[in-house]
Amino acid sequence: MCIGCHGGDGNSTNKTIPSLAGQPRQLIATQLFQFRQGNRKDPQMSPIAANLSNADMNDLAAYFATLKATPPSHRTSADNAKLGAELAKKYQCTQCHGPSLLGQQHIPRLAGQQPDYLRTQLKGFKANTRADMDGNMTSAAQALSDNDIDVLVDYLAGLTAE
Amino acid sequence: MRPAFIAAAFAAFFAASAFSQDKPAASPPPSWQQGKPSALSESTLHPFNIEMTGRSASELPIDKLKVPAGFKVQVWAEGMPGARSMALGDKGTVFVGTRQLSEVYAVTERDGKRVATVLLKGLNAPNGIVFNKGTLYIAERDRITRYDDIESRLDNAPEAKVIVDGLDPDKQPGHFWKFLAMGPDGKLYYNVGAPGNIVMPGYFQATISRVDPKTGVIETVAQGVRNSVGFDFHPKTKELWFTNHGRDWMGDDSPNDTLNRVSHKGMNFGYPFCHQGDMPDPDFGKHRSCAEFDKPTLKLGAHIAPIGMRFYTGKMFPAEYQNNIFIAMRGSWNRTEKQGYNVMRVVLDPQGKVLKYEPFLTGFLLDAKADPPMWGRPNDVMVMRDGALLVSDDQNGIIYRVSYGK
Ligand code: HEC
Ligand code: HEC
Repeated sequence: MCIGCHGGDGNSTNKTIPSLAGQPRQLIATQLFQFRQGNRKDPQMSPIAANLSNADMNDLAAYFATLKATPPSHRTSADNAKLGAELAKKYQCTQCHGPSLLGQQHIPRLAGQQPDYLRTQLKGFKANTRADMDGNMTSAAQALSDNDIDVLVDYLAGLTAE
Repeated sequence: MRPAFIAAAFAAFFAASAFSQDKPAASPPPSWQQGKPSALSESTLHPFNIEMTGRSASELPIDKLKVPAGFKVQVWAEGMPGARSMALGDKGTVFVGTRQLSEVYAVTERDGKRVATVLLKGLNAPNGIVFNKGTLYIAERDRITRYDDIESRLDNAPEAKVIVDGLDPDKQPGHFWKFLAMGPDGKLYYNVGAPGNIVMPGYFQATISRVDPKTGVIETVAQGVRNSVGFDFHPKTKELWFTNHGRDWMGDDSPNDTLNRVSHKGMNFGYPFCHQGDMPDPDFGKHRSCAEFDKPTLKLGAHIAPIGMRFYTGKMFPAEYQNNIFIAMRGSWNRTEKQGYNVMRVVLDPQGKVLKYEPFLTGFLLDAKADPPMWGRPNDVMVMRDGALLVSDDQNGIIYRVSYGK
């Protein structure tokens, strides 16, 4: 039911759909909850989450969290590899997403995530249209310019998740 | 009960000030960052979040929980994501409020089985909860309401009747979820916290106030209270005691979170000028003296995040526990090596002087250096009619029961 979109091994091959493999368990359950509550909305994902119980969500989260993230197909430009790392430090992305941007607890892995998906989410946080549990990510995105977002997306999508 | 709420709550809880129409020229930094000195800009301390879908006790290291000899701790009920403040009904219903969810749960015995059901939903951070003379009172972020004759209407809760509204006029982020307690004077006591980590509070912020449920008239009880989400009244003296959270980003060991006693109306506990009664704030305290402010009764430790506190008035525990205070510490994120995450015991003499301060229920903290350091977070405590102590854990949506003997 999930693998058609998110990839057979939880690694998405579609630039607009996120990989679930290697995401923290709590993050997956939290996002499914957000879709079911209608806080986070997506025409593809919302109807799927609508009928899941808390126990279903916990089981799905536990399963996808154990799958291994494969190396990304995205290649970061040399400039952005350097610039992106600087921006991630400057804006303190690593304070929450972890030193290697692998995510932790309720905070998503960004390393190796699909680029178009990352861009949509960052723009959404900035515009206050992407749901956010505690407001922390929304506030973190406010300082980002459109160019910062492009650089960060190119940088993050090319990082190997290990 | 309020379907239109989701959108409103969303704005209230999650939106940062930067998005309101009349946005100030320079919007204040968000709470996780506000007051953070530049020397700590590479800190990897980050806020935690609860399990929004709850966790089953069967997956958790419950056997790690420890209580003093002669006591026993068990899982009492589960399946209540975000379970926080608790209240006990006359017929034995345990009502449970939440902060990040919008639900209030009712735990009842049905056909010999204990079941947790959703009683109310769509509320705006219904963290404050009181049961008194048949009525359930709820403090949401923006209002205090009543649900009369609730225990005979558990399957079909009545509409809320509003006691006060408009307690969150700006819908800005801040410590605006509420604790609620019924005073010996028949008034409902509640807090309005500070709007951020360390900022000048607005007119009715950083206070504990009370409202007369009959008239809706509000009075300020104590000021300079950064964020108190737990209070109770001394069984003998009837004085109000409360826990209070100190500010973040002032070091691993300062300032202390505190236990405080309100001996008269109009006391001021110092925020934002003075912390823990004797530590001037590096910015706001420059031109003020701590001598001006009231002192806490006990320094509890830094970043231990005390939440619910109750005096022990039950008959089950040994006699020396009478009128002790139990404090649930949720533990905080803003410390390199974590502490808190315990239920503590405070022993007082009859004058209210602290004789002893020691851990009572421990084991939620597994590794103070790990991220996350804990598997559960005690949030509120409540004495049951048989004298057992219930402890809620909002990280997992579980309630534990601590009993003695038997
Ligand atoms: C029809 C395609 C489709 C199916 C089937 C599907 N998803 Fe999704 N899912 C998406 C899309 C698209 C998004 C991104 C939505 C957005 O842009 O906000 C998403 C997002 C998510 C997210 C959020 C990830 C993050 O990093 O925040 C989770 C978790 C998720 N899906 C889990 C699942 C699970 C579990 C299933 C199976 C029960 C499933 N999905 C089935 C399309 C799908
Ligand atoms: C204060 C903590 C914090 C900081 C700092 C932070 N984030 Fe986040 N971020 C989060 C949290 C928490 C979420 C999950 C939000 C939610 O859905 O509740 C998130 C979600 C995201 C997402 C969505 C990914 C997905 O799978 O859905 C992206 C992209 C992201 N962050 C990028 C960044 C970037 C880039 C930076 C630095 C500019 C940053 N974050 C800084 C906490 C933070």
